[in-house]
Amino acid sequence: MEYVLSLLPLAIKMVIVVGILLLLPLPLTWLERKIAAHIQQRPGPMRVGWHGLLQPLADAIKLLTKEDHIPTEADRMLFAVAPVVALVPPFLVFVAIPFGDPVQLFGTTVTLSLADLNVGLLFILAVSGIGVFGTILAGWASNSKYAVLGSLRSIAQMISYEIPMGFSVIGVVMLANSMQLTQIVAAQQGLWNIVLQPIGFFVFFVAGLAEAQRIPFDLPEAEGDLGAGYHTEYSGIRFSLFMLAEYLVLVALAFLNVLLFFGGWLGGPAFLPPFLWLFFKVGLFIWVFMWLRFTFPRYRYDQLMTIGWKVLLPLSLLNILVSGFLML
Amino acid sequence: MARTAGERHGWIGRIFFADLLAGLRLTLGYMMSKTVTHHYPDNEKWVPYQRHRGHHFMNTNDQGEVNCVACGLCSVICPCDCITVIPFETEQGVRRPKVFDIDLARCLYCGLCEDACPADAIKLGQEYEVSTTNRATLTVHLEDLIAAPRKAENGGLVRPAKLEPTGGQHSVLQSGPSSGLDWWSRIRRPR
Ligand code: SF4
Ligand code: SF4
Repeated sequence: MEYVLSLLPLAIKMVIVVGILLLLPLPLTWLERKIAAHIQQRPGPMRVGWHGLLQPLADAIKLLTKEDHIPTEADRMLFAVAPVVALVPPFLVFVAIPFGDPVQLFGTTVTLSLADLNVGLLFILAVSGIGVFGTILAGWASNSKYAVLGSLRSIAQMISYEIPMGFSVIGVVMLANSMQLTQIVAAQQGLWNIVLQPIGFFVFFVAGLAEAQRIPFDLPEAEGDLGAGYHTEYSGIRFSLFMLAEYLVLVALAFLNVLLFFGGWLGGPAFLPPFLWLFFKVGLFIWVFMWLRFTFPRYRYDQLMTIGWKVLLPLSLLNILVSGFLML
Repeated sequence: MARTAGERHGWIGRIFFADLLAGLRLTLGYMMSKTVTHHYPDNEKWVPYQRHRGHHFMNTNDQGEVNCVACGLCSVICPCDCITVIPFETEQGVRRPKVFDIDLARCLYCGLCEDACPADAIKLGQEYEVSTTNRATLTVHLEDLIAAPRKAENGGLVRPAKLEPTGGQHSVLQSGPSSGLDWWSRIRRPR
């Protein structure tokens, strides 16, 4: 009984986090469409609800009631499994993301994270690495040229950008002397890492964009040349699972950027509660990602590889070297 | 060829992505500027210029009779063959149309009927919402033409309007100040 009770806070936190994560794509699609529209001097969705706020709900209902089509040539089992596989890593990432310092609630100390792992950063990088499996399975199972090409591209892209991404955070880890995300944030008290690690931030930001397959690195689902890439053959609810995974990766990326380089929940003057600071910064990052999306064209494939191997990798290595020397 | 912002600032520009930043600045400017979309049919409606060729109307004279003398010229010149005119003679001995039908589903709104008419009778007006769920209602008769909206007094204005899903007109003009002729001045053009 004691044991079960001790699990209760964790269970509550889990329900809250999963619930929020499942609902988050709804406002995000709205935001994305609004930003796209305003960049093109349109108002965007306006007719469902106030300023189109209920539009995502209408879209969700549409997607859920649409025919769930499986191509005859497809590998049915893998085809069904792939969206779920794609959905798992983003959720796993949020296991290790802390949302603030522990708070006192009803006389007990509640940590604002599901698990504050002492290798949190490593765990996150490792888990986001499995994200590529959903893409590969989807492309392979669809048995379609576009889908396979898309997933091939995504494999190459994910592998080449994971390396600079991993290297770019080493500077942060050196500064904090820890891989625990709460420690990393605590180490930024006074001075945010962005000041000390501008190159590291740049590499992490760009590699993160590529990992999340956002424009200008969205080659795996280039609508122009691949139909829709690895999820060309998906429709209805399975497609919406991919969308969900994509938005969650985006949010996770924004969280990581804020936690590692922008002081997490540490704000300037303390007129906002810490977690609001965190969400404010994360929101800002999400907005920047969307702004980038509707500004830049897509990179060519060879340019993508050049940026990854010839620019970001040397830069991240240089960053480690320089931070190492400066710390000595 | 125009040089990109990245080239203009030499290697410093290349390192700090001057061209990407220029693009971001541009889109940010657009994001912050006003939208140019007309909120038609919910809140706004554009009233066309005088020269606009919309739904036909029939002019009447001071006695309330139609101007048409049923000469049939419009029906002859019409490239779509969509006007039917059948004449008759009134007690005053004037030739008038007994039947005057226009099949709007076939009309291409060229305005040739208006040009051909010797009696200043048939005209093309401001009405442009003719969608319907019943094709038969697209054949308009003489009384519909007499009642149809005339040419717009001050065309080119965006006026407040309200959507009314029933009836022939879909977006109905409301009284209230117009947002003016210069909606297109909101279009943001990079200098
Ligand atoms: S506008 Fe042209 S097509 Fe239409 S009725 Fe007149 S002449 Fe015929
Ligand atoms: S509308 Fe004009 S052109 Fe046509 S029949 Fe009447 S008078 Fe003649």
